[in-house]
Amino acid sequence: MKKKYSLIAVAAAAAMAGTTIMAMPAQAAKPSIVVWVDAPRLPGAKLYAQIMKGKVDVKVELHAQGDLLAKVQLFNRVKKGWPDVVFGPPNDVAVLKNPIIANARELSSLLTPAEIKDFGKLNDWSKASDGKYYSIKNDMAQSVLWYNTKLFTEFGYKVPTKMSELFAIGKDLAAKHPGYSLGALGDAAAYSGYFWPSQCPLNNELSATRVLINAKDPKCTRVTTALQPLIDAGVYYAGSAFSPEYAKIAQSGKLVAHIGPSWYGEFVIRPAGSFAQPAGAWTAAPMPLWDGEKVAYSGEWGGGIYTVSPHSKFPRQALDFALFMTSDKRNVVDVKNPDGSNGAPTFPASLKGNALWKAKIDADPYYASSPYPAMAVQAGKVWTGVKPVRYDADGAWGAAFAPELSKSKDLQKALEAYAAYTSNLAQQLGYEVTTKK
Amino acid sequence: MAKTKRYKQSNFVMILMLAPYAFLLVAFGVLPLFMAVSEVPGPSLTNMDGGWDAFKIVVQDFRFPIAVKNVGGFMLYFIPMMMITVIAMALMLDVKTTRWGKYLRLAYIVPASVSGAVAVLVWWAIFEPTISPIKPVLNFFGIDSARQIWQTDNLTYLIAIMAFFALAGNWILIQYGSLQNISSEIIEAARVDGCSAFQLAVRIKLPLIQKYVVYMAVLVFAGGLQIFVEPQLLNTGVYTGIASAWSFDQLSYDLAFKAGDFGGASALSIILLIPSLIGALIVIFKTDMFDVKTNADKESD
Repeated sequence: MKKKYSLIAVAAAAAMAGTTIMAMPAQAAKPSIVVWVDAPRLPGAKLYAQIMKGKVDVKVELHAQGDLLAKVQLFNRVKKGWPDVVFGPPNDVAVLKNPIIANARELSSLLTPAEIKDFGKLNDWSKASDGKYYSIKNDMAQSVLWYNTKLFTEFGYKVPTKMSELFAIGKDLAAKHPGYSLGALGDAAAYSGYFWPSQCPLNNELSATRVLINAKDPKCTRVTTALQPLIDAGVYYAGSAFSPEYAKIAQSGKLVAHIGPSWYGEFVIRPAGSFAQPAGAWTAAPMPLWDGEKVAYSGEWGGGIYTVSPHSKFPRQALDFALFMTSDKRNVVDVKNPDGSNGAPTFPASLKGNALWKAKIDADPYYASSPYPAMAVQAGKVWTGVKPVRYDADGAWGAAFAPELSKSKDLQKALEAYAAYTSNLAQQLGYEVTTKK
Repeated sequence: MAKTKRYKQSNFVMILMLAPYAFLLVAFGVLPLFMAVSEVPGPSLTNMDGGWDAFKIVVQDFRFPIAVKNVGGFMLYFIPMMMITVIAMALMLDVKTTRWGKYLRLAYIVPASVSGAVAVLVWWAIFEPTISPIKPVLNFFGIDSARQIWQTDNLTYLIAIMAFFALAGNWILIQYGSLQNISSEIIEAARVDGCSAFQLAVRIKLPLIQKYVVYMAVLVFAGGLQIFVEPQLLNTGVYTGIASAWSFDQLSYDLAFKAGDFGGASALSIILLIPSLIGALIVIFKTDMFDVKTNADKESD
């Protein structure tokens, strides 16, 4: 026994000596990157660090999505500490380009033509007015119509192709099946599912110094006039889908349909800690069309991006991490999440990653039928009037819209509170706010 | 000769005893103040070219008047509630010393141990109609959903209630302590002259502890002005958005740690320092709170 141990010790010592000698020349050139991700991206990032062991030192740090802005300004001051690559909310691409922040590296010169082609139009959000890319889109968060096929059959509903048909279902539910719900409107749900697809002008950056915000535009009021009676009737919930109160409604089997982003299925409808919907009931349909429109647009809720710091000594390695996250099978399909699920919950913006994700979703027996075709239809139909802006347009849904909606349950009033709040934010950052194009 | 030596010695002891406090004051009070002042003119997203107009920009921030309204409303409830209840309770506690006194004092301090994060949770539970211990009372007033209570408009008094229960107990004991300072001869004399318990409290005791009352008022005011924990926890942990940049300190926090506007945050902090500083100066110079009776005074007595 003793002999065995000593043998192991000798072997280990030899091995260590070997690696030190071997590693010596390589060490100087071995790249190292610091990666910041939020919780849903953490398992993938850790896996990447493991895979790259020996080639690239990947240091993974868990940070909330909003952490970067203040921290970068401190790093700028001490001239060190910048993370190499960061996952953040989509709006970051505009915020981080601000000269005071200056933390979004131009990526067009690093990306190979094949890589640019792999994202196609899905990375257009990252493209600035100079035609260059400043971020990599992790996923598309395009809205689709999630619906419960069993309840639809039971109540005799057809999948709506027009918004008016969806609202007719709402009226029917209020009259014949009280207590059943068509979704929650808090957070960015009303925005990504209704206002944005309806082309309601909020955060429409017209130029670097002008932004169009008008909550009273007919494309906004058609949403509020249609939804308000259904909120009053209890068909729509005037709070967050992530509130325990709403989870209870969904868990009791009263959720009929919910316009939500492509990640809703894997991240909200399915998980036991959220809506916990039973298998074999749910799928997604393309967005219904607003009356008088020709295109059934989507909005986006999330759809995060990776930005690379201009201070990074290894920008290509930093970019490789971003590409791994959105296009490599080991993250998109296989990685083990803490809740027991596998793979990324989001619709990859990389076409290569997307094909892998499609195969996974198509084969998943959880869905009544694959929701992928609806997502694919909507991925190219995100209305592009909404642009990244330099102020925190996403945070304002929590700061201004949600409290007003919860208080008055008046959707128009809540939207106007949002518009007033973001108008103020925009002016602070040097935008001229206009209500007409 | 001997006198100067003793004087020098006592001076040394004094410096020795003052040193730890002086160190902390400089390290965490004076130095940060200078850092804050030097921080103000730095460039930020809202003050691109930097400069002292950071003060103007932060006062003109659209969230500033909202914070003025919120904190003003909160203090309108909080300060009178504190002053009246604390003084009344302390005076009542002092009426008669019984063997229950010490248990009563303990009872006063218990709510004070429930502060900050815990207090927010406790009060959330109390005002959550599904689990509340005062459910019948809430239902009587027609409240059956937490949303009827937890609204931004109600926060002025909800937060006043939270802050009151977190602080009142401590202050009752402090004021009870100040009442113990009153010479028993005065009390005896008043009793002999036929003073009732109520008269004794209002006419004799209250004027005698006046400086402690002013001291408390100043500290309660300064504390109220800097309310942060309760609204911040409600906003980030319980109901997102309910108290976004609700108070001055929260606005300052948001400026610094959400927008990275350290100049604006510093400017706001300095603005907040002014009323508290004035309050402190009032206590020092307008009351005899910190008057020390020197030997010379004693001799002339």
